[in-house]
Amino acid sequence: MMTPLRTLDIGFMPLVDSAPLIAAARLGLDRANGLRLRLHRQASWAAIRDRLLSGELDAVHAMAAMVYGVQTGIGGPRADLAILMGLNCNGQAITLSPALADACSGDRPLADVLRALPRRPVFAQTFPTGTHAVWLYYWLAAQGVDPNHGIDVVTLPPPQMPDAMARGELDGFCAGEPWGAQAEAMGAGRRVIRSGQLWPGHPEKVLACRRETAALQPELALALTKTVLEACRWLDDPAHHPDVVAWLSEPDAIGVPAACIAACLHPSEDERPGEGLRFHAGGDANFPWLSDGRGFLRQFRRWGWLPAAPAKDDDWLRDVHRLQTYREAARALGVAVPVRDERESVLFDGVRWD
Amino acid sequence: MLRVLLVNDTDKPIAELREALLALGYDVLPETAGRSAGLLMAVQRQQPDVVILDVDSPSRDMLEQLAMLSRQAPKPVVMFASDGDDRLIRDALGAGVAAYVVDGLAPARLAPILRVAMARFEQQSHVRQKLDDLEQQLRDRKDIDRAKGVLMDKRAMNEAEAYAALRQQAMRQGLRLADVARRIIAMADLLG
Repeated sequence: MMTPLRTLDIGFMPLVDSAPLIAAARLGLDRANGLRLRLHRQASWAAIRDRLLSGELDAVHAMAAMVYGVQTGIGGPRADLAILMGLNCNGQAITLSPALADACSGDRPLADVLRALPRRPVFAQTFPTGTHAVWLYYWLAAQGVDPNHGIDVVTLPPPQMPDAMARGELDGFCAGEPWGAQAEAMGAGRRVIRSGQLWPGHPEKVLACRRETAALQPELALALTKTVLEACRWLDDPAHHPDVVAWLSEPDAIGVPAACIAACLHPSEDERPGEGLRFHAGGDANFPWLSDGRGFLRQFRRWGWLPAAPAKDDDWLRDVHRLQTYREAARALGVAVPVRDERESVLFDGVRWD
Repeated sequence: MLRVLLVNDTDKPIAELREALLALGYDVLPETAGRSAGLLMAVQRQQPDVVILDVDSPSRDMLEQLAMLSRQAPKPVVMFASDGDDRLIRDALGAGVAAYVVDGLAPARLAPILRVAMARFEQQSHVRQKLDDLEQQLRDRKDIDRAKGVLMDKRAMNEAEAYAALRQQAMRQGLRLADVARRIIAMADLLG
């Protein structure tokens, strides 16, 4: 007799980087691992978080930074979470209004251009402790703009950003694709830096679950990690893109035209190798690097979201990052794993993160 | 009078609550276009006491930002969910933003629900404020100890003398003890 499949309820946001979860279910990779993934599209990151915490969802598509935000209880509930693996790297962008982009294209520093605006500059990100907030703040600060003073930073749902920019309500925003591309297509804005240029190979979305699931049901966590890791590997083969594009453009997935999604999967001309959206990258996009977690926490403290603390982060970061489960899943699939749990990254301003 | 902001940006007929709320004597603020940028301005400008929105509203992340930025004046949020979301109700009650999730949209149930949400919210803000105060006290205590250490080290004072010197400086400059301590620490860092 066959063992019955274990059903898991998975939440996702309608974004291109939810592809690994959608592909895993469409390809039947879940069943091969004794699981049945039921996907539930959500309207906000807050809803994803609340439903994960309440147990209504078993695992979610989450922004990497958001997991540490919940773990440390910044601006909302605190809970013990786990990161099973990364879902993708790169693939986000910072977009400026055309006037601002023009003004910055010469030698004029952004800080000067912003000071010359007739009103307080307004920038948007997608969640207060999300990756887009971190990338935006980092980019602004690297150009001498203090994101905590003199400008307004607001949270908006990304599908509303291009319109808000066209109406003149936003001077800049940071979001995942296709929203920067959409703003460009409308003539409402111009992408001035891709996230993969800001930090080549940066962690973006992750597969997250409650800590108790990862710790008390290790076989389940392993089966889920294997399922999604296999989907990520499958996704990096360009020959499979037509299938992915068709699935993602369906109304219950993302529901935007196929051409728009296809454009996000193709490397753009100005991107160098390692800067474009990848779901696997030989496993580099999936390994839950401990050092990435430290990097996010440093930024949280830099902007005063977290109080300065003794460097005890590593103790609990090891509980959040399920390295052992990931290594086991990768071994089973023949995916290469690094020897060390940390990596060293160099960001666009030459600063080293490790 | 309680000022209520209705956010109507999903299929659920939140706007239909307007009449019921008015009948209950609440001040219902002018509706926003339902777009987040407009909503953000509405919240900042009109300062509602309660925000009511659908649990599946895309504007929820924007309200998260408000909860994080304005710790001194966060807004209680009442969320409407479809029937049978029992687990969500329990969770929402434990969440940082005081939230009360309601099955369906029965106007008759609004008044007690809003009262509970407000009470719960006030209680939570109070607890959070107390926690913030405690954390601040701890930080102050640590900095004062460090500053005492600096004085003992550099000025060869004993602990009581160092403390007395700190207090005297604070009184002379009209500053809090912890602020004087922080200045001394910063200066010591600078001078090495």
